[in-house]
Amino acid sequence: MSGDDIPGAAFADLRAEVARAFAAPEGKTSGTDRGVTSDLSIDEALLLHSIGWEPIDLIFGASVVSIPVGIWTWGQGALDPASSAHAMAMTSASRRMEDQCASVGGHGAVGVRVAIEIHPRHVDVELTGTAVRPVGRAARRQRPFVSDLSARDFALLQGSGWAPVGLAFGASFVYAPRRTAGTVLRQSTQNVELVNYTQALYAARESAMERMQRSALEMSAHGIVAVRVDEGPMPFARHVIRFSSWGTAVALVAESHVGRQPRVVLALDDQVVQFAPEALHGG
Amino acid sequence: MSGGNPEGLPKDVGHRLEELERGLFTSDLSVNEFLLVKEAGFHPLGFVMGSSIHHTGVQTRRWSKSQELTKLTEAMYNARELAMTRMEEEAEVLGADGVVGVRLDVNYYEWGSDAAEFVAMGTAVKAEDGGSYRNVLGKPFTSDLSGQDFWTIMQTGYVPQGLVMGTCVYHIAHRGLAQAIGTVGQNVELPNFTQALYEARELAMTRMQDEATRLEATGIVGVRLEEKSHQWGSHTIEFLSLGTAVAKRGDEVTLPKPMAIISLDN
Amino acid sequence: MTGSSVPEAAERRLATESFSSGLTVPDFAACLQMGLRPVGLVQGFCAMQWGWYGGAQSLRGLSPLGVGDGGYSRVWYCPHGFVSAEHPTWGQNAEQTWVEDAWAAGFDSAFARMLEEARALGANGVIGVKDTSRSTQANVTEFHVLGTAVKLEGAAQGAASDPWSTYLAGQRLAKLIEAGFAPVSVVATLSSVRVWSYCMTRALMEGYGYSMGAIGASGWAGGGSLGAAQEVDQVTEARIAARQIAKERLRQRLGGDILHGALVGSFVRELGEGDQVVECTLRGTRVRRFKDFDPIEAPVVTVRLS
Repeated sequence: MSGDDIPGAAFADLRAEVARAFAAPEGKTSGTDRGVTSDLSIDEALLLHSIGWEPIDLIFGASVVSIPVGIWTWGQGALDPASSAHAMAMTSASRRMEDQCASVGGHGAVGVRVAIEIHPRHVDVELTGTAVRPVGRAARRQRPFVSDLSARDFALLQGSGWAPVGLAFGASFVYAPRRTAGTVLRQSTQNVELVNYTQALYAARESAMERMQRSALEMSAHGIVAVRVDEGPMPFARHVIRFSSWGTAVALVAESHVGRQPRVVLALDDQVVQFAPEALHGG
Repeated sequence: MSGGNPEGLPKDVGHRLEELERGLFTSDLSVNEFLLVKEAGFHPLGFVMGSSIHHTGVQTRRWSKSQELTKLTEAMYNARELAMTRMEEEAEVLGADGVVGVRLDVNYYEWGSDAAEFVAMGTAVKAEDGGSYRNVLGKPFTSDLSGQDFWTIMQTGYVPQGLVMGTCVYHIAHRGLAQAIGTVGQNVELPNFTQALYEARELAMTRMQDEATRLEATGIVGVRLEEKSHQWGSHTIEFLSLGTAVAKRGDEVTLPKPMAIISLDN
Repeated sequence: MTGSSVPEAAERRLATESFSSGLTVPDFAACLQMGLRPVGLVQGFCAMQWGWYGGAQSLRGLSPLGVGDGGYSRVWYCPHGFVSAEHPTWGQNAEQTWVEDAWAAGFDSAFARMLEEARALGANGVIGVKDTSRSTQANVTEFHVLGTAVKLEGAAQGAASDPWSTYLAGQRLAKLIEAGFAPVSVVATLSSVRVWSYCMTRALMEGYGYSMGAIGASGWAGGGSLGAAQEVDQVTEARIAARQIAKERLRQRLGGDILHGALVGSFVRELGEGDQVVECTLRGTRVRRFKDFDPIEAPVVTVRLS
């Protein structure tokens, strides 16, 4: 890759570029670039460009959904009102994001940050991301995709014949089973599996995952990548356990998977991988 | 060891350092850092440290006046300086040219509510080509650079001279009630506040820069500005600025041309 | 202190020969490779006192506010036809322009002072800018903008134009330039939307909207059946509006240029019974294209041995 280095030559070139950048006359941004906003890092922007895509605009989705009063008190089984509020908030926030994406001519949103907050009386979902499209191409007819994969991951998937189709998600809330005072007392000195708990948690996790898979299937996806799981007791109601999982649903769009045959490197840095721009145009 | 006297290391240190002189080295560098320090032409000699326990007392301050608390500033500065000097002495015993990866920490212990331990630690290194890299004061250089940073800075033709710091403990005035009511309902700048914040940070930075000048450094890299309130309450703040002073010694070494990659590692 | 002079404390520091830079070593090295020479750490402060939400406006008025000051505003009315002191018959989302303006004034003065220091050093630009704003006490917010001033080798001394500035430094800046963008300025903005809830919002945010469902507003739950989730339109709209306003306000500062590396922050302050303040910050580097778009080759894919 970098066998025919001429020491010093590359840097002189970079200096010239820098000098040129700051000598440029004012107000040259024109055409489709005008007013573009994006939250991509420079690496992500370069990678996106390398596969022929470009950022268009920063887009948002949000939804606040009510949870009926009184459901967090003791009960048994699943808290369906909470999981349906959760599902509605996610669906409607991503729908808004898709609408915004379509209205700015995007084919999809990448690097979407998903923020879910569950309050006792309402679920808040906020999505932030950047709408992207193939350079110079008009809006597509299908619904835009929303994906929490970074532009880097998007570029890698794209190069391997896959494409994101949307956010898949599922959540479930269950009451931890109640133990009688006698049982608590008896078990306090024993090392035993709390079978009821195990079963309840299993069931909850299963149903969250199952909901997530169902939402992916509805989008005709072939798989879900980078699944994130958030689980544990609710801070304001410790006897309720929440499972929520989400990830990007992907589908194979090429004939078959394209292998990338990675090179093996030995890195000597513990920190961020640095790379210089002049190498980007090939050695 | 009594405060204010940088002479003499505690007795137990001697034995550990003797073993190091016989060729064994210890270091808190990672393997990557170790290899890069070697790549830069240096050999690690040993892990060195210095510590100093100080009483972080109080100084009377006026409720409504923004001012520097010079006694506290001095105490904070001396405590760190002492820890650093002790670390440098350990490095001196090992015949080091410098110390890399220096960390300055403050520890509070339960046994002394007003006591704070200031610790400096790092890895002493020596040039393999026999050249001297000591600074103008004839002492080993100190730097908070990691192994990677150390290698990189050597490629640019700059050589570290010393970890420099400046500190300023400042009391920011409380506002009187009359003042607060007088400005209700308006968006206004509070010039006194602005001035106080400027002043405090500038003092810390100027002192840091003065240290660099004493080392005849060309400049300071990696300056960090930290704000600590220690145990003084929210209106008394220590502004600390820290960085590595560097001096230009040689020409820039051209780095090999890197290539663009996408890493598949997490 | 006037807005146009470097404070005396800073002058002393800036007058010395040596430079100090907030750059990390890799950034410093990259800087030298680009022909940018660090000349000093520059900073600006501003402590602002906020108006108390327009004085009396922290209390609920008898009717919605006028929309005279040109900000976003939308009013909702009660569908029930009740008249009761307990029952808020109107709700409003209103942009708090005075909060936005105070924030902008604070940021802008701190930023201008930093540029002033950079000019005093004869710098061409400021890189690796960091800005923080925090409330030290009720109604007081302090802004701090900090960066490393650089001179461009071979450039004319004391250029007539203002120094450019960017949040980026080091290799990321080099890559930005390689990608054909020149940084112009750091830009930042805040938007603030106050939600005055009306009966429907209040009921939903308090979780008892389901029992009111039978009252039958359009779009309300079918028969109030438990489990049919209800979106809170007014609050949802406020959340989106805050972001859109931030984007629009920032866009006005772009003058047609591009915003690179945007960072969005959002804060919700719940005031109870559905009332809340939604604030959103947006910052990034305003960049301008100086050469045509020239995509890089697809990079090599690697796996690290370690």
